[in-house]
Amino acid sequence: MDKIKIEKGTSTEEQIVELLNSAATESDDQSKVDCLIKIQELIIYKEPGLLDNFVDEITAFQHDRSADVRKTVVGFIEEACKVDHELLGKVMHSLQLLLNDTSIAVQKRVIQALTQLHKITLQWLAKAKSVSELMERTWNMLSQMKSQIAKMIDHDNDGVRTIAVKFYEMIIISQTYPEPDSVRKENEFSLEEVPLTLKVARPRKLEEEAQLMIEDLMKYHGSAHISSANLMACMGSLTHIAKSRPQFLDRIVTAMEMLHANLPPTLSKSQVNSVRKHLKLQLLAILKHPASHERSGNIKTLLADLGATPQEINKSLPSPEEIAKHPRRSERAEDSKSGPAAKRRKIEVDAIPTRENTREKALSITEEFIVQHLSTNKATDLVIESLPRISNNMPPHFSSTYTPVSEAGTPKQIRHVARLLASQMTNAGIGPGVDQVGYFPKMRNDFEDDDEEMDFMPGEAAISPRFRDGDDPEPAKPGMAQIQPQAQSRARQRALKLAEIAKPLTPQMNESMARSALQRVLKAERTAMLGGVAANRQKIIASLATLFSGDFKDLVVEYIMSDPRSRIELAFSWLYEEYSMVMGFCHQSSIVKDEYHHSAIKSYSGVFCSLVNELKKQTDLKEREILLNRLFLESPHIPEDGVSVLRSMLCEDAKLVDISIQIVRQLVHRPTKQLVYLNVLLEISSHEVEEVRSAVLSCLTELYDRGALRRVIEDYALMCLKFLLLEEPPALLSGPEKGRSEVITTWTEEVTNACLYLFLVILHSNEKLIHELAIVYVQANADIKRRILRMVEGPVEGMGMESPELLKLVETCPKGAETLLIRIIHILTDKYPPTPALVDRVRNIYQQRVPDVRFLIPVLNGLGKKEVLSVLPKLIKLNPDVVKKVFGRLLGTQGDSTATYPSPLSPTELLIALHNIDSTQCDMKTIMKATSMCFMERGVYTQEVLAVVMQQLMDQNSLPTLLMRTVLQSLSLYPRLSGFVMNILQRLIVKQVWKQKKVWEGFIKCCQRTKPQSFAVILQLPPQFLQELLNSSPDLKTPLLEHVMAFTDNQRMHIPKLTMDVLNGIAQFQAEAEELNNEDSKEAGSPEPMESTFHGDIEPPAPGET
Amino acid sequence: MPQPLKLAVICSSNMNRSMEAHNFLSKKGYRVQSFGTGDKVKLPGAAPDRPNVYEFGTPYDDIYQDLLQKDRELYTRNGLLHMLDRNRRIKPHPERFQSTSEQFNLILTCEERVYDQVIESNGLEGRDSQTTPVHVVNIEIQDNHEEATIGAFLMCELVSMMANSDDLDNDIDEMLQDFEAKCQRPILHCLLFY
Repeated sequence: MDKIKIEKGTSTEEQIVELLNSAATESDDQSKVDCLIKIQELIIYKEPGLLDNFVDEITAFQHDRSADVRKTVVGFIEEACKVDHELLGKVMHSLQLLLNDTSIAVQKRVIQALTQLHKITLQWLAKAKSVSELMERTWNMLSQMKSQIAKMIDHDNDGVRTIAVKFYEMIIISQTYPEPDSVRKENEFSLEEVPLTLKVARPRKLEEEAQLMIEDLMKYHGSAHISSANLMACMGSLTHIAKSRPQFLDRIVTAMEMLHANLPPTLSKSQVNSVRKHLKLQLLAILKHPASHERSGNIKTLLADLGATPQEINKSLPSPEEIAKHPRRSERAEDSKSGPAAKRRKIEVDAIPTRENTREKALSITEEFIVQHLSTNKATDLVIESLPRISNNMPPHFSSTYTPVSEAGTPKQIRHVARLLASQMTNAGIGPGVDQVGYFPKMRNDFEDDDEEMDFMPGEAAISPRFRDGDDPEPAKPGMAQIQPQAQSRARQRALKLAEIAKPLTPQMNESMARSALQRVLKAERTAMLGGVAANRQKIIASLATLFSGDFKDLVVEYIMSDPRSRIELAFSWLYEEYSMVMGFCHQSSIVKDEYHHSAIKSYSGVFCSLVNELKKQTDLKEREILLNRLFLESPHIPEDGVSVLRSMLCEDAKLVDISIQIVRQLVHRPTKQLVYLNVLLEISSHEVEEVRSAVLSCLTELYDRGALRRVIEDYALMCLKFLLLEEPPALLSGPEKGRSEVITTWTEEVTNACLYLFLVILHSNEKLIHELAIVYVQANADIKRRILRMVEGPVEGMGMESPELLKLVETCPKGAETLLIRIIHILTDKYPPTPALVDRVRNIYQQRVPDVRFLIPVLNGLGKKEVLSVLPKLIKLNPDVVKKVFGRLLGTQGDSTATYPSPLSPTELLIALHNIDSTQCDMKTIMKATSMCFMERGVYTQEVLAVVMQQLMDQNSLPTLLMRTVLQSLSLYPRLSGFVMNILQRLIVKQVWKQKKVWEGFIKCCQRTKPQSFAVILQLPPQFLQELLNSSPDLKTPLLEHVMAFTDNQRMHIPKLTMDVLNGIAQFQAEAEELNNEDSKEAGSPEPMESTFHGDIEPPAPGET
Repeated sequence: MPQPLKLAVICSSNMNRSMEAHNFLSKKGYRVQSFGTGDKVKLPGAAPDRPNVYEFGTPYDDIYQDLLQKDRELYTRNGLLHMLDRNRRIKPHPERFQSTSEQFNLILTCEERVYDQVIESNGLEGRDSQTTPVHVVNIEIQDNHEEATIGAFLMCELVSMMANSDDLDNDIDEMLQDFEAKCQRPILHCLLFY
């Protein structure tokens, strides 16, 4: 408190707030911790009332980076809960988090805090009038942590284990009932304080838990691998328990006796000294307790062995009065049979039948046996028997721990020796007591140290470092002599008899016994698991299965496959065992010669395959794929047969394809076998079934892209490609592993494609290969060519126009591959406009090598206007479908995205160009067909466009032959153009239409079609030609006459007389025709104003614009 | 970084060995305290059967004056005065371990009897739920000036090893084995709890 400078006037609360702030902002861990400690002192010791306000703020520091700060928080929580029990509910969660902290120090601190808080929580629960939900939750959390900490007794860290031991101690003490002679400490908590009615934590349950925990603690105390610090902590805890809960004193003293006789072999010399010393001090402490009276004999001899002087022992003995006060345990139990204590005791005795009890029983029986038999002669025999085994030099710890034997030969001393021997014998699992009670010692070693276990033999175990038993009764008798007398003689007898009696078994007998032994081992799964020797069993099965052959292996395979999920580990250890045989790692295989090596390999591969095959059959097993994967990937070696199994998995079972591919994909990266697995993949790349193939192909592309195996893949792909040149498909392509069961003798579509799949896939990654394709294409027959053309689309599309290799191909196109080339160019320009580079190259080909106009079609849009116009005649001569395509390209009506292309020709220009094609280059019919094709595109050739076309055609010097055809067609498509057509007709008269026969015919047809509008135009014809017109279409005459008759007189005046004459059927005058014609042209503008049929947006072409 | 170690060095009278170590270790900057475990503070007297006996709590200075008065020449010769002079500059008076309620991380003792007494005193402490571990380590040091100096060096070496450990609880077993091999003296070690 004096550390804190309290300013006058500031309240504690303000100070705390200030400290909290500075703790939060402080960057130095130590100053943070200081601040928190100050806060803790202020709150807890000065104003506990503030606790509730600040606890959240402080627990927030549990997420601090520094372990020290977190530790301080734990300390705070602990102290706070001691002051205010209600806080427990609030902070338990924080503790749970902190218990899993990464820092060992914090973990330890939490366990330490919990050791206190467990008790407090129980108190809190016990005192509460009713248990709220929060309390229950808190208790549950605590119980969870309890079990977590209980496991920490096997933690990696020595310190954590130590603290866990203390935690055990606390639980045991606070969850049991005290006895009248218990050493009580202030503040101690026991089950007495827990009401029987407490539901969340029933005292009965708690007591059972404590019983289990003391079992565990004693087991730990006796374990062979315990470290010296742990051992001493454990001893301390047990002593404390013995004093506080004398009901356990008996068992604890026995445990210490066992320890004394069986010190952990891992301890160093000084540690042994420390431990022995500690043991002595603990025993002295126990001896002081009156309840130890019944065992004081044992304890005193033990102490004497440990080097305690009689004075020391006497000093620790409780005074006779105390002992007198302390009733004998047995008597007391009888006294209070009706009392609650007796009841409890009964429960307790019933509750813990267990190993410890049987062990004790076994021990005392053996002890009795030895006491009866240990005569002087026997002892002498023992010494003589064991003399040869004593090492020549005295072990150093023998001399350091040796104490002269007092009272040698007295009954008391004999009993002591007997007990020492008995505890060693019991531990080794021999002696009459063991036989009678059926006690079997636990394997001393846990499975972690397998090696040690391997050479574990009962005899050795008993002899091992027991040298430190210098406290042996007869000085000359070394530790090893303590091996029980009769067991040794028995062993000797048996050995003698064995050689005489034993006869070799018949082979059948031998085999059947071996088989049933194996079956028994197989059946013992559960038992082995419960006994904690599952790993040993696995090893046994694996070695057995390896050593035997034939149906033994089948038995084991069957066993594994009846539950592959949990037995796969066995499968692996078996495989490894087999593998060590192959490689000669095993003991056994040192005698195995080369000829056996072969059979070992066969055996390994047999086991592997049958495991895989059996696993494959388990179709309803969920983990089938995972296990298969593991089998392939984790096995030490995959035999050749295994590879073929894998191959068949790939091809035959659709459900296994994915996993098989995954397996191969991983295996392919194993350098030594790379090619084997790559081959598997390559072979399957032409598989019939799409899923299989695509999976394999994608895997291959990945490998190809990675580069290492590029050559191999490429070679294979080319080989396949070249198959196409063979007369008939090679046998390699058929067969079950390709999904084609019959042998195929003709090049069907599938087989052709099969040769191409791989090639086309890698073509994408390596475009240079396209040249190979072209070469093959040239030589292949027509069917195959067609199929290649069909297949090539995807890959080429992927390559794109910019691909230099493609351009190079276009440039150097081998002879015969033109169709392929055209196809490729088509594919390329299908969606995108051609690039200038491509256009250039295509143009070159066209001009220099192959004058096939079809080359140009795909790149039309890239050519100049002139070029297009020059090839137009050739283009329209092609097959109508192609022409349609060409027009589509030019007009931008093909496909969807083409609309955006800039076309070298506008629709108008195209139509005009068609009209202007020289008939020497192309016959009329073709041109007509081409123009009609244009008219079909009504979306492009609207009436406006057509009007422009007609207008421009009219403006040309010579009228194209097809002009009138176009006019007529336009008119039939768009009747509203009639006004405009009238205008044209009129202008045609001016242009002396009659001079061109075809046009003149068209003119007449047009007039017929457009009557009566055309009458006005007809009337303007020179009479001579009017006559001609009327001659060719007499049906016009009458209506025309009627039309004229309907004129007013004034109007009629304007009609030349000659015309009227013609109309009236009077003979015409050829001579005047020329003159009239001139007149006509003068009057052309005047007669009858045109009826404007044009509407709104359409501008009628001006009549006089010629 | 673990918290700095809190040390106690203990001999029987809190005069020679523990004070030598106290002096040495505190100069090295460790948090150290020293104690004795005997019933009384005993110093050699004019004859083996006539030791000088004082109560714990008697200031070093008083003892110094007392001896000075008794036989200046003798006590200068056997170095007691010199020792007391040093002690009185370190702390006022000898302290008895059994009567302190302080808690430490590490207790170093100088002989087996002292080690026993420390362990015994721990058992006597009547508090429940002792969970804070403390390591008790004994190094045999004979009770004379030369040995005390050597002992102080040894202790300092051990302490510096321990102070550098991140997780003393976990490392101490190995450290002590190494140390024992090095110093060629028997070591005792155990773990107690506060």
